[in-house]
Amino acid sequence: MSLQILINALVNAALIAPPAMAFSLLFGILRFPNFAIGGYITVGAFAAYTLNVPLGLPLPLATAGAMAFTGLVVWLAHVLVFKPMEGQSAVTLLVVSIAVTLILESVIRLFYSADVRGFDIPLQRPYRIGEMRITKEQIEIIVLAVAMGTGLHLLLRYTRIGRAMRAVADNPMLASIRGVDAARVTTFTTVLCGAIFGLTGVFAGLDLVIEPLVGWNLTIPIFAAAILGGIGSPYGAILGAIVLGLAEELTILVLPSTYKIGVGFVIIAVLLLVRPQGLFGTVEIKK
Amino acid sequence: MSAYLISMTTYAGFFMILALALNLQWGLTGMVNFGIAGFYALGAYASGLLSAKAGWPLGLSIPAAVAVGLVAGGLVALLSMRLREDFLAIVTLGVGEMIRLVVLNEDQITEGPRGLRIDAQPFRDLVGQENYAIFYLCFVALFVAVTYAICERIRTGPMGRTLRAIREDDVVAGVLGKDVFRHRVQIFAIGGGFMGLAGALYAHYTQNISPEVFMPMVAMFIWMSVIVGGAGNNRGLLIGAGTVIMFLEGTRFIGDVIPSLDAEKMSALRIIIIGLLLIVTIRLRPRGLLPEPKFTYEPRKDAGKPARSPT
Repeated sequence: MSLQILINALVNAALIAPPAMAFSLLFGILRFPNFAIGGYITVGAFAAYTLNVPLGLPLPLATAGAMAFTGLVVWLAHVLVFKPMEGQSAVTLLVVSIAVTLILESVIRLFYSADVRGFDIPLQRPYRIGEMRITKEQIEIIVLAVAMGTGLHLLLRYTRIGRAMRAVADNPMLASIRGVDAARVTTFTTVLCGAIFGLTGVFAGLDLVIEPLVGWNLTIPIFAAAILGGIGSPYGAILGAIVLGLAEELTILVLPSTYKIGVGFVIIAVLLLVRPQGLFGTVEIKK
Repeated sequence: MSAYLISMTTYAGFFMILALALNLQWGLTGMVNFGIAGFYALGAYASGLLSAKAGWPLGLSIPAAVAVGLVAGGLVALLSMRLREDFLAIVTLGVGEMIRLVVLNEDQITEGPRGLRIDAQPFRDLVGQENYAIFYLCFVALFVAVTYAICERIRTGPMGRTLRAIREDDVVAGVLGKDVFRHRVQIFAIGGGFMGLAGALYAHYTQNISPEVFMPMVAMFIWMSVIVGGAGNNRGLLIGAGTVIMFLEGTRFIGDVIPSLDAEKMSALRIIIIGLLLIVTIRLRPRGLLPEPKFTYEPRKDAGKPARSPT
């Protein structure tokens, strides 16, 4: 029983950690909590579904397609909506990003009904290790999430574009003085984050179900993980995701499971009150 | 059709009170509140439960709803004043969602998803059945007018100047000797009170309230009203709330023109239109339809003379 909780928490964390890292990266460039990520994840899930079920592509190919498509959507949203609004306050942008999620969700509802869907994959018995059970898909999610985290780490640490991304997130003015092409970095970041959200959509489709609200329901846990780890710190986001995953699973033991969505909020609230910079973030200097 | 128009306008009234309250908190003082749906729910359930289950008369239960909103607003403000505005957004959204979750789960008291039935309606016996819809519209309009008057009074008075100063730079306001903390808590509480009032009016209008009405979507629509109308301008956001309701409800008639759309697709299309409305408005008019008027200082005619003769 208790080890099963650990496994569930791990799967939860694997689902939340990559988009929390992507959220942190996007925050570094746009500097507002982007609620549009819910819509992006839903787009990813439905893109993969469309390629996988009606078009009959194998799931790995469909996943790649979904990542590319979501990358495109995130880039388009940036160019058409967020970039022209650069001078607006963070709160206005936040409201706009919720509107973007609502629009994306509604466009999907317009073309697909609200039915619950799943990918075309053979049903398998979960593996049993002693008392614990874990499905093949859950193992894949964990492995891919770890690979994703490692890949992002290598990218940020050792490549030219990764260094440029960190520079722009740190201090855009200084980065541009030093000759970093901020526009190119922004484009790269949006497409990269879009691909991660697309992958998350596929994960969500594998572990949960594919429905228009799938992204919205993940948004708050993702925020909670990112804030827990310290916004703007992609590595903190991984640990934040693990803590959150554990907290959510432990709540079910004492409270009705309908309260599970509340856990993310409570964690955010308590943490922000006690330690506004997150567990690992550094204090941000205002102005 | 005319009955529909009356109900649409009544809903616009609830939205206007909520929008005025949010403008007090955000437009004037710069405090973010995404928990509007929660305060709205608190007011609705406070008055609804007190009248339906405890048997209080409406003359007491509606003021009680306002009081609950006031206290809740004050508490949230006390807890979260230290936060940066975008984090405050997430925390208040969380407060709103937690209120909804509690209402949903504690169904021995609130009836949860089954919905709470409320029979009491203000002045029901005095006004006949056939005129009641019109009467209630006027009743709501009266409260909108009162709320508007109070908000305008706050905005144009000395307190309004202090609040704008806090919004622009709280450090400067503090250095000038204004009690920033007290003002913020006060305004957040007053806003919460108005939201509670809107909730109570809504509860006795529909007579059946259930948690799914109080989704975060409500907060979204009120924010859109304020941003589209023009933050900081009370007249502008009355127009904003009217516009949002018009797009939200009026677009139901698209279904008559394009019959191939079912209810599910229609509601999706409505949300798309509302979302685009927000984005297009911000692109074309970044400060809203009616922007906040620039503050000008007009010295009074008798300026320079001492207010009271020194004798």
